[in-house]
Amino acid sequence: MNKKFKTIVLAITYSLIITSTNLQADVANDIERFQGYLMKKFPDISKQDFADGVYAIDKSSRESWEEIEEFPPYEIQIDDGKVMWDSKFANGKSYADCFKDGPAVAAQYPRWDKEKSMVITLPLAINNCLKANGEKPLKYKKGKINDILSYMTFESRGQTTNVKVPSDDPKALEAYNKGKHFWLARRGQLNLSCAACHAQNAGNKIRSEILSPALGQTTHFPAYRSKWGTVGTLHRRFSGCNKQVRAKPFKAQGEEYRNLEYFLTAMSNGIKLNGPGARK
Amino acid sequence: MKNKLLITLLASLVMSANVALAESAKDIIASAETAQKKAASVGGEWRDVGKFIKAAKTALKNGDKKKATKLAKKALQQSKDGYSQAMRQAEVALELPAYMKK
Repeated sequence: MNKKFKTIVLAITYSLIITSTNLQADVANDIERFQGYLMKKFPDISKQDFADGVYAIDKSSRESWEEIEEFPPYEIQIDDGKVMWDSKFANGKSYADCFKDGPAVAAQYPRWDKEKSMVITLPLAINNCLKANGEKPLKYKKGKINDILSYMTFESRGQTTNVKVPSDDPKALEAYNKGKHFWLARRGQLNLSCAACHAQNAGNKIRSEILSPALGQTTHFPAYRSKWGTVGTLHRRFSGCNKQVRAKPFKAQGEEYRNLEYFLTAMSNGIKLNGPGARK
Repeated sequence: MKNKLLITLLASLVMSANVALAESAKDIIASAETAQKKAASVGGEWRDVGKFIKAAKTALKNGDKKKATKLAKKALQQSKDGYSQAMRQAEVALELPAYMKK
């Protein structure tokens, strides 16, 4: 190998290392700043406490929440979800054939799929399983998706959020950055961003409601919301939030919300899952 | 004879004004739909635009051209605002806000 060729190969190798190191530094830096800011804003609670959302920072609403959790309103969905998990598809297979590690896999999502070049979320993986076995896919906001998700999420309680942005695929960082941009961008007639409410104004009131901190927001979905009278998905909540700022919501499990989920979940790395949750 | 002529003239003036208003409402609805698509293409469509356009079309169908025009204009303006907002936000730096400093 001549000297010039060696130099070129080394230069390319070093630039790849620097890029991948920078990539990891970007994500790690974001996590440090994101978590640091909110933990400083609410110094009396631990990092894990953020998984309880507004009930970690508001004593009076915590009391009613704890009472609700004594007889959790999402128990029916967990039981129905177990029935779905245990039932066979028409072809004789079941969810267990797709999720070889069993139902306790919520902490493996969302994740980057290099082959498909997209973020895969657990609801998407569930529907991919159904489609691969000739079954009708489930709707992504309401209905039975919440049953199977509730069961799988419940089985995954206690697992630690650990989203990775792989360094060997720049498209993964691109998806992460798109999610980050979504979170930062103002939208709708009310011109609000996720950051404006759930970081800058976390703990403040918007009309009668206290704005929950963004840290830990993804750990407890799907969630039973009193407003819905049932369990709903994270993307249903994204959609509702967008509507509340008078922006037209995006499609559940579309690229925008999957990338947002990718970024937002990464920001909660280190926090244990505690879904399904009960919320107002 | 003179009165008949005057009545006919007045009637035709009112009719052409109505036609003009209806066409104007139609044009504004069409403009609003174009602007809606433009805003949507950059992820900037606002929540109520579709509702206003639908209501404008219903109003026009029912002969309420004034209402149709008002709603269509609202949809058009909100679509323009949504597009401008999305284009401005596209320039937002990919940095966490300064208040989230280390």
